Amino acid sequence: MVERILWDRKNKENRSVKWEEKVDIIKQSSISQPKKPFSYVYWVQRALILFSTVTLFLPAFFPARITDKISKYCSIFTAAVSYSNLTANVGLGFRYISALTFRLVQFSGIALVVGVAVSGIGGCMSLGNNKMRLRGSIFPMIGSAFLLLGDILARNAFGRFDLELKVAGKKLGQLEPGWNLNFFLVFAVILLVISALLFVSELRNEREERMEMQERYKLFLYILPILMLAFIFSYLPLWGWRYAFFDYKSGADLTADNFVGFKWFGYLFSSEVTRTDIMRVLKNTLVMSSLGILTSWFPVAFAIFLSEIRSTGFRKSVQILTTIPNFISWVLVYAIAFAFFSTEGFVNDLIEALTKSVADTNYLQNDTLSWIKMLAWGTWKGLGWSAIIYIAAISGVDQSLYEAAMVDGAGRFKRMWHITVPALIPTYCVMLMLSIANILSNGMEQYLVFSNPINKNTLEVLDLYVYNLGIVNSNGGAMIPLSTVVSMAKSLISVFLLFVANNVSKAIRGENII
Amino acid sequence: MADKKKNSKRDSSFGLIIYKNTAGDRIFDIVNIIFFTIFMILCVFPFYYLFINTISNNDLVNRGMVTFFPRGIHLNNYLALLNVTGLGQSFTVTIMRTLIGTALMVAISGFAGYIVTKQHMWKRKIWYRMIVITMYFNAGLIPWYLNMLMLGLTNSFWAYIIPGMVAPYNIILVKTYVESISPELEESALLDGATTMQVFTKIIWPLSKPILATIAIFGAVGNWNSFQDSLLLMNDASLFTLQHRLYIYLNQTTDLGSLMDSAMANRIASGTLSNRIIKYTISMVTVIPILLVYPFMQRYFVKGIMLGAVKG
Repeated sequence: MVERILWDRKNKENRSVKWEEKVDIIKQSSISQPKKPFSYVYWVQRALILFSTVTLFLPAFFPARITDKISKYCSIFTAAVSYSNLTANVGLGFRYISALTFRLVQFSGIALVVGVAVSGIGGCMSLGNNKMRLRGSIFPMIGSAFLLLGDILARNAFGRFDLELKVAGKKLGQLEPGWNLNFFLVFAVILLVISALLFVSELRNEREERMEMQERYKLFLYILPILMLAFIFSYLPLWGWRYAFFDYKSGADLTADNFVGFKWFGYLFSSEVTRTDIMRVLKNTLVMSSLGILTSWFPVAFAIFLSEIRSTGFRKSVQILTTIPNFISWVLVYAIAFAFFSTEGFVNDLIEALTKSVADTNYLQNDTLSWIKMLAWGTWKGLGWSAIIYIAAISGVDQSLYEAAMVDGAGRFKRMWHITVPALIPTYCVMLMLSIANILSNGMEQYLVFSNPINKNTLEVLDLYVYNLGIVNSNGGAMIPLSTVVSMAKSLISVFLLFVANNVSKAIRGENII
Repeated sequence: MADKKKNSKRDSSFGLIIYKNTAGDRIFDIVNIIFFTIFMILCVFPFYYLFINTISNNDLVNRGMVTFFPRGIHLNNYLALLNVTGLGQSFTVTIMRTLIGTALMVAISGFAGYIVTKQHMWKRKIWYRMIVITMYFNAGLIPWYLNMLMLGLTNSFWAYIIPGMVAPYNIILVKTYVESISPELEESALLDGATTMQVFTKIIWPLSKPILATIAIFGAVGNWNSFQDSLLLMNDASLFTLQHRLYIYLNQTTDLGSLMDSAMANRIASGTLSNRIIKYTISMVTVIPILLVYPFMQRYFVKGIMLGAVKG
């Protein structure tokens, strides 16, 4: 192996084209691609399949929602994988609706998921050579058959449900079949036609011996599942932003009737209660972030002073022991706070032992200096850890600089100030810019665990406010639009700030921070 | 005097330069050492304090007599936890999510980190950016929550696993590391007819073990400590993570003894098992695994944090 590498190296001293590109050129030229009109049809087919993949996760497309007892958050995918989620609210309805009806709903979901998955295989194979494409175009045909099956099952579920309700003479939030039932019918037929067309067109091409695919597409297919996961968990939530424009009632649909435009954005300022809340929360957030930014030089000082300690053993142990708190959760930090500062905690025990009198102040249950206390806990948890990056930077400083400075008669503080500090400034700038960009995101965990009725007003930061508003006190979802507006505004402002911070950094130091 | 000798010995490493130790330097050194000693104690003592309070005689603990040294050592409190309803369940859930979640995250980050280094991937830049952007931008808590509802990932163990599988930061770490591996290795393997998958499993994976170990350890700690997803997504108490359970117990003011399966457990030989002791002991159980892996972790710190400073 080693000889081989050396040999290769010798032969490739002068590489004008990157070797990867060379390999790719060789492979690309030998693998056939679809001819002109059909290559566009292939893109249409792939786009359709990709779109159908997205519909699996959007509840609006769920065709078999026969009753409003099925959660309106139930997507096709959910219905397919989790029967318990599907029927979570049916409850007593099972007295007169047979489980088979709901199983039909689930099977319809499964058929749709399988249909999309099978079509997806075909979509992936359509990137290959003639033979692979021919085989591949069979899959969307099978897939569209499954989609049709899913549609038929959903129609059956509606029929059955209707019948059972009539027999029982009861009502169970029955819903009319929606547009999505026809959507899948039309969709499946279109997919079937296109795939059949492509199949016929491929029959005329001469076929290779083996199924092959260009390397660049293969690599893309490797990353595709990861992209899909990233899409589902990071991009799909953006779809939830539409709640900001509707009057939402739990269980109701978002329709043109309850579309309210920018009402909730105005509500932030027009409603007295909300406005005072927002002002208070913003104040807390900005104060906490500013305190963080004002103390952001602590880790730098920590690192510089630590590096001035001569004993390696002491330095190492400081470094090791002071990083421990960074690795425990905020809940555990609170547990420690509880053990030290609650009524029967360490501090009171100590005072009792020293003064021989009863001491039972609960330091956690008051709101004096809350901000400073939070800052102190944050520093306790993060100081040692944040210093590591600076310690590493200090160890990278050229020692001869210090020696030269010593020859020139620079004392210890002069050396720190004129050599170590400038060496750390670039790293510090990046950290500072990032913390400015994150000025609205304090995270909610710390403030959630430390908050109680007494200090609630001073601890509620934006993240925690959104959580309290949208989830804890959401009044059956009535507050969801408002909290979405706040979430949304926060995200947009944060991105804007990051962008600004990045540009500032580019202007000053000629370097991007992201 | 002895101090001075020591210093001059150290200064000899600077060649001929003789270092003068002024009075100011001395004071600075002393203040410095005192400060760091105090900070070290602040960081370690809380854990020690919790620990001695869980192993000392419970009656003494309840009277607040155990402050610096354990008295009447016993382990019955830990045994008593076995009787706390649901705690074992939470422990299992947390361990399972830590193991499964971390393993999948490492496998996916390792593979994705390698694949995105391949320059000739179709539209590579777009896909890579699509992953990186998720690190800086999120839709917000409520849209995220609604999305999880939509995906049916509430009251399901998979809600702990699947969202964490793609970790953009870790993908960037692996990518940066893989780029530092000599491309000749990969090239010669490809020329010998290895497929991309073979190159990954036979060459890249073994060579990237240091960075994979780093992300595994950080991922495991993150999984162990995570609390928010349990709080937001789970109604079913049997799926609560240990952190969530601890949070609930810490906020409980009613008698925690009532959580015990058997009334007898409340009264054990080493004194009354008060709320305070139960809270401390559960905290200890939650923190001990972190403290146990900590010695293995800390040699990866610098690597982890330094690579993070390298942009995507």
